[in-house]
Amino acid sequence: MHSKKLGWLLLAPTLLILGLFGIFPFLYVVWVSFHEWNPFAANPAKIFNWAANYRKLVFDAQFLASLGVTMAFVFFAVVSEVIIGYLLAQAFMKDFPGRAFFRTIHTLPLIMAPIIVGSIWKLMTTPSIGIIPYMLKHTVGFDLNIGTSAVAAFAITVIMDIWHWTPLVTLTLIAALVSLPSEPFEQAQIDGANKRQIFWHLTLPMIRPALIATVFIRLMDAMRTVDEVLMLTGGGPGSATRYVGVHIFREVFPRTNYGYGSAVSVIVLYLTIVICWLLYVSLIAPRTRKGSS
Amino acid sequence: MGYFSKASALALAIGLLGVASPAWADFWSDAGAKYKGVVLHGVTESTPPSNFIKDVLAPEFEKKTGIKVEIETTSWDQMYDKAIKDMEAGTGIYDMVYIEQDIIYAYLARNFLTDITKSLKDMPDLKAPTYDDANFTSFANYFKNADGDLFGVPMEAFLKLYLYRKDLFDDPKIQAAFKEKTGHDLKPASTHAEYTEIADFFTQYGKDNGMELWGSTAQAHTGHPASWYEFFESVAPTFGVYNWGIDASKNYAASVANGGTMNGDKAKAAIKWWLHLRDIAPPESPQSTWTEVGTTFAAGRAAQGLVYGENGAWIQSDATKSKVTGKVGFALPPLEPGVLEEAEAGKGYIGYYDGGAFGLPITSKNKEAALLFLQFIGQNEVQPDWAVAAPRITNTATYDDPKVKEMDAKLGGYYTMLKDKGKLFAGAPPYPFHAQVREATAPIFYDILTGKIGPDEGLDAMAAKAEEELTTLGYRK
Repeated sequence: MHSKKLGWLLLAPTLLILGLFGIFPFLYVVWVSFHEWNPFAANPAKIFNWAANYRKLVFDAQFLASLGVTMAFVFFAVVSEVIIGYLLAQAFMKDFPGRAFFRTIHTLPLIMAPIIVGSIWKLMTTPSIGIIPYMLKHTVGFDLNIGTSAVAAFAITVIMDIWHWTPLVTLTLIAALVSLPSEPFEQAQIDGANKRQIFWHLTLPMIRPALIATVFIRLMDAMRTVDEVLMLTGGGPGSATRYVGVHIFREVFPRTNYGYGSAVSVIVLYLTIVICWLLYVSLIAPRTRKGSS
Repeated sequence: MGYFSKASALALAIGLLGVASPAWADFWSDAGAKYKGVVLHGVTESTPPSNFIKDVLAPEFEKKTGIKVEIETTSWDQMYDKAIKDMEAGTGIYDMVYIEQDIIYAYLARNFLTDITKSLKDMPDLKAPTYDDANFTSFANYFKNADGDLFGVPMEAFLKLYLYRKDLFDDPKIQAAFKEKTGHDLKPASTHAEYTEIADFFTQYGKDNGMELWGSTAQAHTGHPASWYEFFESVAPTFGVYNWGIDASKNYAASVANGGTMNGDKAKAAIKWWLHLRDIAPPESPQSTWTEVGTTFAAGRAAQGLVYGENGAWIQSDATKSKVTGKVGFALPPLEPGVLEEAEAGKGYIGYYDGGAFGLPITSKNKEAALLFLQFIGQNEVQPDWAVAAPRITNTATYDDPKVKEMDAKLGGYYTMLKDKGKLFAGAPPYPFHAQVREATAPIFYDILTGKIGPDEGLDAMAAKAEEELTTLGYRK
């Protein structure tokens, strides 16, 4: 009994902080999402409107389009980051001159604030001064202008995200690879397994938990990308890179559409949870059940 | 005896003057004594005028009063984000906020700001002898309510002018080539047709001669409100479309069908003219906001363009940032026939009068000390150095200062134009829903820029969207 009380006492600061900065703001956003509230409207008061905001967003072409491009962005960015991250992790596992130096260099983007990353890429892609349009023009004769080409803008935001976040995947997978026992691999080699078989039947299943956790983290992060895209393209050209994070930002801050913006935020959070749950169910749960039966 | 009386009276008067004069000269230390140790916090956009406040005026004020002033200079978006959140939530973090001319109406509608005129009347002890609302230019009127009370101390004011490269326009070789090609003399454009002719010529001239030179700038970002502003505040008025094409007197109508002009023939002609210029402008134009337009012109990449005065000044005078110092001419924007006459008659305007003020949030916890600071930056005495460091003028007396006159000559008469022609320009319309209408219609506008939708149908859709948004907001019944 005494230890239970002490346990709660020790947990109290954490619960308090979690409640104050996590649970309460979330509940407040949910509450606001059931209101029509724009402080710059003729009537700036909060007006309870039941689920009208949720009903509206189902038919909001701009929101649906923004959700579509976000899904494409998340797919290309996360898949690329996992593949490149794994290859880099494998490369960094090997011994070569300057390995420590390259490991350090490659993690540098991680410590940069997204707004800085956006600024750097903006400088690199602006037609008159950017190194990327210059190199493309002078090597393959391609005119890159992310202000006019929707495809180019989309591709550059994906590449920027890969550049920024692949090191996180690499570091996580290095940690997973380092912790793998050597015996199964030695046995597989003795049994004559080739590299592909070792990868599919040993490495991948053994690093699966770390891989899935990394995918979850990157997926959730990519779904809420705002700063770097806002700085690089502003969501343009047109709505080509108006990802849901940018869409929510524009609804909530400049447009001060607090009620509707909150509803969009809640739905995006719900979608993120559903996607993660689906991934969990399809990749982790069957194996857990198989293992326990 | 009479001599002694006079001598005594004189001695007494001199003595009294001796006592009184330091007190008069030392208003700031006397008034500030009560607030010594107070730290004022302000938030503003990072611009040369704001940086002057941060780097020069704030330390000077602290030296005189003992009141510390911390000015946070940040991006335009961040500045609004922080200021509005603070005033909305009533947290009272900021004692001064930057108020751009176009947001004052929203702030007044929400009662975010303190009435500076009334506060100084209510607290005469705080009234600085060197401060007077009457010192400001007519730009201060944008920051007054219906009773004429001031809610923001003007700290910057600029015109968005037509800049052209004098060195290119005066080059005999280019003049001859232009004459040969067009049959006209090369001179700054006064009409849209002339402007287009010059722009087409220079873009081709740059191409033919292997130069990094284009005929016009274009603030045509395809995902940033800067392009929306360029069209509605700088281009459309030159075609006779005012107040964004929204008519408040007609139930906030935007569409022609309801009495607005957002999708009228003039607006449609304006957008086609501007889109053509965008197409022959430097390739960075679809990624250009007001800042990039300035840097494009400063890099010598455009022969002419509509450029904000705050950028025009450094482009002409700061050799560390500009390749075209001393080569820039300033003129009024090109106009459609009849627009100048409408502006002179007070029925319209020919371009954008940009600027901002420092206001005192109602939620400030240090109102008295902040009032002192606002008066300090509004004095005539601090203006000349400020105008030289960061070309802007908000007080009428500043025009006559020798330093400013010298600067005016250096800037090719920019200040004279601000003084004499400022009345032909106007700030944003007096609506409290700027960001809301802009954000609701901007996606369609960006689609026009990318060609996803045609200019005519795009403007029709924008007018409909603007009316829908105004109805949702409750302004349009």
